[in-house]
This record gives sequence, structure tokens and C-alpha cells, in this order.
Amino acid sequence: MIRYIIRRLLISLPILLLGSFLSYVLVASAGNPLAEMRARPGVTEQQVQELAAELGLDKPVIARYWDWLTSFVQGDWGTSVALGQARAEVFPSVTEALWVTGRLVVGAELLALVLGVSVGVLAAVRQYSIFDYLATSTAFLMFSMPIFCVAVIIKSYGIEFNNVLQSMGVDRWLTTAGPPTEGFTGSIGDVIFKYTGTFLLPTLSLMLISFAAYSRFERASMLEIMHSDFVRTARAKGISNGRVVFRHAFRNALIPVATLFSLNFGAVLSGAIITERVFGWFGMGSLLVDSVRTFDPNMLMGWLAVTATLVVLFNLVADIVYGFLDPRIRLG
Amino acid sequence: MRRSKALPAVALFSSAALVLSACGGGGGGGDTEISNDVAAMAVAKGENESDASYTAPKVEDMGEVVVSTDKPYTTYNNATADGNNSYNTFALTLVQTGAYRLNGNEKVILNKDVMESVEVTSENPQVVTWKIKPGLKWSDGDSWDCDEFYMAWLAQSGKAKKADGSSFFQAAATNGHEQMDAKCEDATTFVGTFASPYPDYNGLFMNDVLPAHIGAQKAGVDDIKKITPSSTAELEKLADFWNTGWNGFDAAIMPGSGPYKITGYEQNQSVTLERNPEWAGNPGGPSKITLKAIPDPVAQAQALENGEVSVSFFAQPDANAADRLKGLEGQGVTFAASPGLSFEHFDLNFKNPVLADDAVRKAFFQCVNRQDIVDKLISNVQADAKPLGSLLFFPKDEGYTDVYSDKSTGSADEAKKTLEGAGYTQGADGIFEKGGQKVTFRISHTDIPRRKQTVELVQGHCKAAGIDIQDDTDPNFLDERVSNGDYDVALFAWSGGPWKSEKKSIYSTTGGQNWQGVSVPAADEALQSAVTQATQEKATPFYQTADKALADEYASLPLFQAPKMWSFKGVDRVYNQGYVGALWNANEWQTTS
Amino acid sequence: MANVNLSSSTTASPAEVGGKGSSTHEFDSTTARTQGQLVRRRFLRHRLAMVSSAVFVLLCVFAFVGPLLWTFDYEDVSSRSYLPPSGEHPLGTTQVGKDTLALLMRGTGFSLQIAIVVAIVATFVGVLFGALAGYLRGFVDTALMRLVDLLLIVPQIAVAAIVVKGLSGSWYVVALVLATFGWMQIARITRGETLSLAQREFVEAARAAGATTPRIIFKHLVPNMIGSITVNATLAVATAVLAEAALSFLGLGVQLPDTSLGVIVNENYGQITTRPWLFWGPFVVIVLISLAVNFIGDGLRDAFDPRQTKVRA
Repeated sequence: MIRYIIRRLLISLPILLLGSFLSYVLVASAGNPLAEMRARPGVTEQQVQELAAELGLDKPVIARYWDWLTSFVQGDWGTSVALGQARAEVFPSVTEALWVTGRLVVGAELLALVLGVSVGVLAAVRQYSIFDYLATSTAFLMFSMPIFCVAVIIKSYGIEFNNVLQSMGVDRWLTTAGPPTEGFTGSIGDVIFKYTGTFLLPTLSLMLISFAAYSRFERASMLEIMHSDFVRTARAKGISNGRVVFRHAFRNALIPVATLFSLNFGAVLSGAIITERVFGWFGMGSLLVDSVRTFDPNMLMGWLAVTATLVVLFNLVADIVYGFLDPRIRLG
Repeated sequence: MRRSKALPAVALFSSAALVLSACGGGGGGGDTEISNDVAAMAVAKGENESDASYTAPKVEDMGEVVVSTDKPYTTYNNATADGNNSYNTFALTLVQTGAYRLNGNEKVILNKDVMESVEVTSENPQVVTWKIKPGLKWSDGDSWDCDEFYMAWLAQSGKAKKADGSSFFQAAATNGHEQMDAKCEDATTFVGTFASPYPDYNGLFMNDVLPAHIGAQKAGVDDIKKITPSSTAELEKLADFWNTGWNGFDAAIMPGSGPYKITGYEQNQSVTLERNPEWAGNPGGPSKITLKAIPDPVAQAQALENGEVSVSFFAQPDANAADRLKGLEGQGVTFAASPGLSFEHFDLNFKNPVLADDAVRKAFFQCVNRQDIVDKLISNVQADAKPLGSLLFFPKDEGYTDVYSDKSTGSADEAKKTLEGAGYTQGADGIFEKGGQKVTFRISHTDIPRRKQTVELVQGHCKAAGIDIQDDTDPNFLDERVSNGDYDVALFAWSGGPWKSEKKSIYSTTGGQNWQGVSVPAADEALQSAVTQATQEKATPFYQTADKALADEYASLPLFQAPKMWSFKGVDRVYNQGYVGALWNANEWQTTS
Repeated sequence: MANVNLSSSTTASPAEVGGKGSSTHEFDSTTARTQGQLVRRRFLRHRLAMVSSAVFVLLCVFAFVGPLLWTFDYEDVSSRSYLPPSGEHPLGTTQVGKDTLALLMRGTGFSLQIAIVVAIVATFVGVLFGALAGYLRGFVDTALMRLVDLLLIVPQIAVAAIVVKGLSGSWYVVALVLATFGWMQIARITRGETLSLAQREFVEAARAAGATTPRIIFKHLVPNMIGSITVNATLAVATAVLAEAALSFLGLGVQLPDTSLGVIVNENYGQITTRPWLFWGPFVVIVLISLAVNFIGDGLRDAFDPRQTKVRA
């Protein structure tokens, strides 16, 4: 097991190196982060050059990448080189952004998974029922929807809903612009009120899309397995319907969903980035867009380092989950 | 256009309604004056207009207030080249006090809470004396006095040079500090002696007056004044700290000298200000101010709509957010916009053979319909916006004259006549040419949507005049290309304001930022005279001469001032000041019913 | 993205797919039909797929023929800004005074163009790599499948951001970025089918007769996989439309002067309550394209593989 993990990590290493090199070079050679400085009246060329030298921007791109890499492997993630960013430390910037995005994504994905799998199983078991039609057509519709539009619509109606609440004399519940700065404080009731109010709308937008994928997927694989030979045999042996569905079919039908859940990382990330953008949260999405926009390769590298770690982690988890769900798979 | 009249009318009506209900005895605790007339909010309550001075007024506690703007605060030291940005000033304006304040009309106002006086005590050489009130303190208990001014000068004057000639301190700009020699006459008297007269002295020590005791401590000296531009060893230590030490957040080294101090910071998210107990003036209204960064303008507008923030202000105009906010007037939301301190302009490159011809430049000025550009790009946000008529003055400045509206008429016919009169003929494709040279050129700009839209509009305007314009969008345009003069027409923005000395480097023949290669002897002479006057009043006529001379050369065409906008609900007297944002008078804020 | 091949048909009614009567008469005719005829007939009977095809054709007409007939050019900025819908401007005008309908046609055109290029490139690369991996096996297989793994996990959004800023934001650059991330699914499916087809006698025979690898792949393997290739190519169009819109919405996709539906939504989503037509126009078109293409894909799946429908739906 441990050997397997190490091997997997070693395989990803050259890929990550290549990826980081290409990204660094592309962004660093795309533009000069200090360009806007020249548009400040009274700034002399010498000032621009001095700052460039101080930030190490005067060196060739390859040398800058090497500098970055050598400090990175020693645990120094470097500082931002973007103008106006005051050499913000990369590591805390990235972790802060991850914390914002992470809280949003984890909840939404878990909810989507639970809901998607249950709806998928129910739809498969009650094939051709009204529930099945409703569930499958909703999923189909959601699947064909651009997520950002869904988020825009949900947010807009959320605010309307708040107005209705207020007109009924209740406090405004749903918030749109990120978690409260002071955190969730107050009595337990207050905390729940604030917490749900903060997360409901973005979670809903994120969840709907993933839910569509999971429920469609689960229904399909559930149906396939229910028609497979071993389930038919189990039925023929006289095992009760519930037992067949849950002991035999369900467990096996989870395997493809588990694959999807872990491989879906890229899609989930872009979903989160879009949701964040619509709701004006400053998370991984804004960090990525800003670091590319301001030609800030150091910040981008930090972003990539964190996402790459997560990706590798997710893949490992997926493999381990397979092994757990499907005894035929042995890791070694 | 019609909206501009509607807004004050509605505002007047509602304020009248409030006054009436107050007379009717409704609502208690209302002896604070409430005004919704936004234009009047540009002048702070504590301002004494007769001698242009300010003292914080007595106000009631208004509790906590949440404010949002587009981008996050990043550093306590906003004077560094890599940290400098408006969003820092927006928060620090309440935290770091200074000799002067700016009001909403960009008038320079003496800060009487901390200053006794600022006087020109000698004309030749020009000597300026800043007298600080005695007994002022930072929130950590250390004194706020001449030391602070001294360190600001030391760091920003660029006089502290390393052996290789580069500066110890990476300051964003020198702003006149470089022309001055500084001395602390006593603990509260700072004397600056200028090498040549400098009219913009009242821009010095307005902000970025940082805690000298922290600097001294980091440099390992007991008195900051012991460090002179030649004490290399101490400078090394001080500069190291000054350049990066105040980045991020550490309450212990970031005290407040203004009415508020920073008590909380979440990177890229928010900064929290609370009242400074050591503040000598009257305490501010809000007990706590949270300044949030919401990167998307529409999201910011929605946050206000949803009651999550009470005030939101935007340094850049956004028509979508503006429309949304205007639609909320019925819910008690006030939306306002006013011209900002940066202006978009076309710089015509004299090195380009087509544009070197006076007739072509004149025709280009004539075909550009600036009113149409303003109507379509700006008036959605700021209903009373007008094209800008000067490169050196803003309409609110003393001495503004519109010297461009008769030159840029937006008339394709006039442009055609100009070209025909200069011997150009229209080719089969409708484009004018002379001697085989077609009247065609590029407009280069960075990838900001508004600039792209500007070019689209101008292409349409000038096509009708037989002038062919190509769009050149280059995200990296402001890098080497603009400073190498590698363009035909450049479209970007300069920031302006009450202090105009810095304009000399843009428009005089030998100026460091004169990338278009304009050379007007009359303007050179006038600019040189202007920047060596002792006061701004004396400099103004020279600037006017230079402005006129530049206009007659058809060198640069100012388009419009990018408006800033803001919106608020339940808070009285909010005005988004161009330099320092909406919090400049937040100490005066009160709750409205 | 990953789930297209496993998605079930949600559209076919039980009578159509489950009823014995409807499925038997395909085989009871006395004259033998070619596979192509059978597929065509089954597809034509799939009502939703037919309606969707009509919608899709109409959208293409709207995007590519519409601008020729419509009175306003998308570059025309002479109208006033933000006019409400009227007979003259059915969807009003934008901030700079462009006719929104003209802009929408152009945006739809770009979006479709991008999606179709993505589908073609992704299918070609996917089929080629998948067939190569499955046929040659060994080192080629391992290398290609590692590449698939890599691309499945690299965040497309980051690559798009970097490439669009670093190189150019033209529509074909965006299309290529999307294609780079769109071929893996097809490659996996093709590889799987190739693995089993390669064992069959006719491939063995061709190889024995001295056929080259490209010939075997394109003459023998690909024609036998045409069903799944067509279905997945179709579904790739829908995925690409949504992915492009999402990227452009973030400002990481198509850049002006090129445009797309995502760009139009990005510019106007703030108007959802004040000028709803500016938002709902492009939104409806995106949903229409993606729904229509998904339905067509489902119809094709049912047509090529009626067995799968019976088991799954």
C-alpha cells in the first residue's frame, strides 16, 4: 500500500515539474507586473528598474523559475511580485483562499453526493415511476445548464426572498458576500441562522450541478447492475428485494460514482470558482484570475502547488476507495 | 441627461419629508442634521470653509458599520513602490493622520486636529514651517510629532543613496520631498527648505506619516533624527524594515494616529478599524468599521441591496452595478457618482509620419465625438458627465478652462474639410490619402473593456470622416511599448489632482514621461515657470498658458474623467473622495432612520 | 464531462423502448437492411431527437444566416445605449448602442464554431490515441494513458487562464484549449473497444495481409466503432458549449473582438433584474444548444445501440 502510494507520487513528480515550468514561463513572459507603474505621473524609469531589480524581475525568465524552484523546495513559497500587493506572502494568501473555497466546496459536494446517490438509487429501483421521470428530467436539465447562470439566478431570487422575509418582519437571512468577518458568533441559534444564511445560496448553486451528474451516473450504473447476472442469481436464490438492492447492487453501483467523485475535481473546482465569482467571495478563483491578470508567477505557482497536491491526493483516495468497494481490486 | 435633474429633486423631496416628519415630533434622538443632498456631502461637517481648516466635530456613537470596496487593503506602508495602491489609502486615511486633508471637491484642508499651522516663512529660498500640536500620541502611547515628519521625508526624498547610486528606500514617488532639506526645530516644529520654490508643498505629509518610534526601534537607534541621508549602517536597517516590514498585519507595529486604528485583518478579505483611544480630536461616530473587499462590482451592489454592507464605494465605474443601485432608490438606497481623479486620453505620436502632419491630428480631433463616448460609456454611471476640456486641470480646479471643445467637435464633415484643405483626397475605399500615404493608424491600449469600447466608438466616428482606425489591444501595452513610444495613438489614463508639478515630466520636451515626443516651446517655458512658483495660486496662470499651447498643437486629446461611484443606506453624509475613498469623513458618519 | 458515456436515456418513453412490438419489426422485413439504414430509421423515430435536430438547425441558421438578413450589424454602434426591446431592436441595445440581437447571433455563431471545432479535434485526437493505445499496447498504451490521467486532473481553468493571457484570446485558441481537455473520454472508450476488436479475425487477417497500422486503424477499427464515436462526438459539442461559456464568463475565455455567448452573459448578468432581456437572451440560447445536442446524442445512442437502451432506460 505504502509502496503503491510512493510510486504514484514519484510518477506525478516529473509531470508536476514540467507543468510548473510551462506555467511559470508562460505567465512570466506574458507581461511585466510593474508596467502600470509607468502610468503614475512623475515616476522615473530608474525607479521602475530599481524595483524590478529588488523583486528579481530583471533576470531572465528561466533564471527566475530556477530561483523560485530552489526556494520552493526549501519551503519558501516566495512573495507576490504584483504591483500594489506589497509583496504579499504566497503561502498564507493561498491557504486563506483555499479556506474560503474549501468550506464552500466540501459541503456542497457532500450534499450533492448524498442527494445524488439516493435519488439515483430510488429512480433506478422505481424505474419508469413518476419519481424516476421527475428525477431524470431534472438531472438532464441541470446537466445542460450553464452553472454560472444558475448561480446568478439563485442569487437574484435569494435577495428577493430576503425582501419577502423582511416584509414579514423576520430578519434578513441569506447573505451573499462571503462569511461574516467576525466569524460565526452569538448564541447557537444565531450561529445556525448565520451559517445557513451564508452558505445556503452558493452551496445550492454548486450542489445542483454536481447533483445532476451524480444522480444520472448512479441511476445508470445501478440499472446496469440490477440487470447483471449476479444480481439475477441473488434474486433467484430468493434473497429479499431490499437485501438485493442494498447488499449487492448498491455497493457495486457506488464504484463508478466514486471514480467520478475523485476525477471530478477539475469540474468541481471550476464550478466553485464560478460560484465564488458570482457571490463575490475572494477564494481560489479570484486568486487564480488575479495572479494571471497581474503577471504574478509566484502567486500562480502557489495556487498550482496547492491544487496539484489536492489532485494527487484525490487520486490516491479514489484508488483506495475502489479497493474498499470492490474486493477484486488489489493495490500493490 | 434627464436623470441628473431627477436625482437631486428626489433627494430634496425626501430630505424635506424627513424634516417634516421630524417637525411632527416623530422619532427621537434626532438633533443631528440629516441631509441627502449628495453634492453637499463633499464638504465635511467639521470643515471651516473660511480658512480651509478641519476639526473633527462632536458626533454620536453610531455602532458598527460594514463598508465594501472593490479590492483588498494590502499594507500599512502605502509609500512603497510595490505596495502603493488606492485601496490602502482608503483604509489608512482614518488610521494615519497628516498635515492636510482633502475634501470631496479635492480642496486641500488644513487638519487642525493635529496641526497648529503650515506657513511659508521665507520666499527666497522657500522655507515652509509645519507646526504640530503638542501632546499628540499614537494609539500605542508614543508621541506623534516632528520625528514622524522627519522619517517620512528621509524615506521618500530619495536622498538616502547606496554606494551604487540606487536608493535605500523603495518609495513610490518623491512628490517634492527631493527638493527639500529637512530639520526638526523642536519636537513639534518641522522646517523644510526648498532648493527652488515648490508650489505643491501642501501635498507633503498629507498621508504616509508613519510611526517613527517603530522605525527607530527597528533601526536600533533611540532617536530617528540621528539617521541622516549619510548614516549608511542605520539606513540599511531602517530601509530594510521600511521597504517590507509593514506589509501584512501585526497590530504591535501598526498603531493609529488618526481617529481609528487597525484591529483586524484578513488577507484579501477585510480590514477592521476601531476607535483610537489616544486620538486627540473628537471621537468618530462608528465604533467599528469593517472594510470588506468584494471583487465583483455587481456582487458589491447586491451586498448593499441585501443589507450586508451599509456603504459600498467603487474606484472604477461599472454600469451594471450602477443600474442596479439606481433601481434601489425606493428602498432608501442613495446612489451617487462623481468625476474621479484619473482621465482617459489619446496621445498622438509625433514620430508617426501620418500623425506628424498637423492637418491629420486636427482632423482626428474633429472627428472624435467625445460627447457620444461620454454618453455611452459614462453617463450610465454619472448622469452629468461631460468631456474633459484640459490636460492639466479638472473642472473642479481653480483655473479650469475648456480648451478642447472647439477643437474636438465630433463632426466628420469638419474633419473632411480639414483634410481636403491640406491637399488630401479621398480614395476609392473612402479613406483620405496624400502622396500615396493613407490616413490610417492604430489606437493602442490595454485590455480594459471600456478602452476597447472607446476605440469601437471612435472607429465609427472617424470612418465617416475618411480616417481609418485600427484597434490594437495589447494587455502589455503599458510596459515597454508605451515608454518606447511604440504606438501611433495611445489610449490610457493619467491621474491628476490639485498638485500639478508632476505634469511637467509628461508634457515638456525633455520630460521623462513624454513618450509621444511633443515639443511646444511655449508650453515648456510656461511649465518651467509654473513648477518654480511659491504657491499654487501663482502657478495657475502658467499652467493655463501651457494647457492652451498644448491644445493648439493637437498633441493629446483628453476624453473624460473616469467616474468613481458609491452607494449607501442608513448612513448620513457619505462621499467617495477621489484620492482617499469614502472613509475620509467616516468619523462624522451618523445613522439615519 | 466524465460521465457522458454512462448516462442513460431519459427521453425514450417505455412504449418506445421497452415494448416488444416496436423493436421486433426492425428485423421482420424480408429485405435485408444495411446497418446505416437501420440506424437512420431508429433515429428518425426518436421524436425528441428529431425535434432537437430541428432546433439545432434553426440555431445554426440563426447564427450563420441571421446576420446576413438582419438590419443591424454587430459592429454598428450608432444606436443609443440600453434601449429597451422594441420592434426595431427586439432585444434592445447594449451599453455602447449595439443591437443585442445582432450581437447574440454573432455570439451564438462563435459559440457553435468553437463547440464544433472542439468536438472534431477532440474526437479525432481521442479516436487516434485511443485506437493506437488499444492496438499497439505496451509502451504506447502506458504513455498515452498516463497522459489521459494527467489531463483529467489538471484544472482546465488554470490552463485556459494562462494560455489566454499568455498567447491570445481568439476563438480558436479557446477552442484548442477546450479540445486539449476534451479528448480523454473518447480515447478511453475507443481504447476499450479497440482492445476487444483487435482480437477479432478480420483484424488478424488484415494484419496477416500486411496492412499498415494506420490502415488497420482507419479502415478496419474505426468503421466498427462509428456508433460510439458519433455519440460521444455529439455530446462533446454540448460539453464544449457549456465549458466555453463558463470560461468566457470568468473572462478567461474568448476575448474581444471575438465574442461568444459566455462573453455576452458576462457583460450583462448584472442586468438580470433591471434589464432582464439582456441576460435571458444568451442564457436561453446556451440552454437550447446544450439541451438539443444532448437529446440528439441520446437519440443517436438509442439508434446505434438499441440493446443498451433496453437494458438501461
